[in-house]
Amino acid sequence: MSDPVLELDGVESGYGDVQVLNGLDIRLEADEIVCLVGPNGAGKSTALKTAFGLLEPWSGSVRLRGEEIGGTPPEDVVRLGVGFVPQTENVFGSLTIAENLKIGGVSRDGGVGARVEELYERFPLLREKRTAKARTLSGGQRQVLAFARALMTDPDVLLIDEPSAGLAPNTAQEVFEDVAAVNDLGTAILMVEQNARQGLAISDRGYVLDQGRVAYHDDAAELMDDPEVAELYLGG
Amino acid sequence: MSATLQYLVNGLVYSGVIVLASIGLSLVYSIRGFANFAHGDTMTVGAYAALLAFSGTSALLVGGGNATAGGGLAGLLGGPAAFVVALAVGMVVAAIVAIASERLVYSKLDTSAVGLLIASIGVAFVMRAIVQILFGNIQQAYALPRSGPLPGFGALGVAVTARDVVVVVATIALVAALHVLLQYTSLGRQMRATSDNRDLARASGIRTNRIVDATWAIGAGLAGAGGVFLGLSLRLQPLMGFNLLLVVFAAVILGGIGSVYGAMIGGLVIGVIHELVPALSTYGVPINAQYANTVAFLIMVAILLLRPRGIMGEAV
Repeated sequence: MSDPVLELDGVESGYGDVQVLNGLDIRLEADEIVCLVGPNGAGKSTALKTAFGLLEPWSGSVRLRGEEIGGTPPEDVVRLGVGFVPQTENVFGSLTIAENLKIGGVSRDGGVGARVEELYERFPLLREKRTAKARTLSGGQRQVLAFARALMTDPDVLLIDEPSAGLAPNTAQEVFEDVAAVNDLGTAILMVEQNARQGLAISDRGYVLDQGRVAYHDDAAELMDDPEVAELYLGG
Repeated sequence: MSATLQYLVNGLVYSGVIVLASIGLSLVYSIRGFANFAHGDTMTVGAYAALLAFSGTSALLVGGGNATAGGGLAGLLGGPAAFVVALAVGMVVAAIVAIASERLVYSKLDTSAVGLLIASIGVAFVMRAIVQILFGNIQQAYALPRSGPLPGFGALGVAVTARDVVVVVATIALVAALHVLLQYTSLGRQMRATSDNRDLARASGIRTNRIVDATWAIGAGLAGAGGVFLGLSLRLQPLMGFNLLLVVFAAVILGGIGSVYGAMIGGLVIGVIHELVPALSTYGVPINAQYANTVAFLIMVAILLLRPRGIMGEAV
């Protein structure tokens, strides 16, 4: 069996003295969308931050294509082909849209301009607003820019924290469609989502996290159909 | 009227120094997150490094001759050319000292912005003591000939020296260069991104440690230039930069701490007002030059009360 593209193996991690992850096991195959759901404080965002190197694992292992990357700083993790879209403050508000994209490409060896053009093709809104400051964008537009910035490196793996947070339902649906479209082009996606049903609907598999470890994991459709999971974690 | 105009001219020259110092202070604040109380002494270090370089270079260029004698090719080489070299050395040494203080002190401390601020006061004492040990407490000057007022400005009734012109023109050139760097280069874009959101900058692949180094280098380099120009228009002495620090803070707070463009405006306004204070007495306000700092601080206090985020009110 080939290595999963990203794997968290018995990861413990947290903030300061507060432990949040208590031996978390997650695996992401190439081309998959995997959704992490669960109650507040379950460690969903912490899992992404630890995978990306924003937090150092206290123990356990984070592997990318079988290579240990736990504790590697984020600026290096980016260069290994992983992108990260944080939940909040995920664009540079004082920079223009075009500048946000160029910043997303700083780790590229070249072809920044061409990649910006590709992303303008895919998200025409960004071309239209390229000279505007990012802070002038609406919530949904910001989310699109945050994606596009993370896609500048053409990553193999994209980690997305709550893409629908704070968005109106229609806008959230559009963002999920964008996530699915990005995945179709060959980027594996590990996503945290509060709107568990909407998140699982576009996912291949899902993990239900509770108190820093995996409570359930299954194909996304199975999870949604599981009455116990539905009652405990998906709001009935 | 011409007296007021003269104060205005003096204000512009003084503003040049304040602007250069303010930019560095604000730039470092925006990316490193603390108010650097060693910034004034960084100016002093730049000024004295230039002094050393100036005497060395002019001695070298004119074969040990006396640069102050002036006249002919030897005078030119020993004077302005050597001064340009000295200015560059002053900026580079100030930059190196700032990066060294980041590496040796600030980056080692696991502390808050206030802790770093207090540490920077300690760094300032060390820098000042080294200057005092090496150069003594006496006043010194760059051994350039003082030309007296330029004839062209006489018609306006103001005395403008070649030194005044050098300070103003060089300040404008440095500010313009910084603007180009910030807005049109990859380094500048990365500096602005890092100042905006450091975590997101790292997540985007920016090596923020290098950006911090570049910021220290640019901020301290400009402060060093400010120190050299202060030494050029007045004299050098070990407290020259420290004595200016509070006025520089007033300028930075007026402009909005963390904002480079705010620092440019704040520096210009505070610098001109500072030198215009004595002019008030010609309009019947009984106040003299000794109160110039007080007026600058009153403006700072007013800004903190009325518009605490300053004119520009946001990062870079």
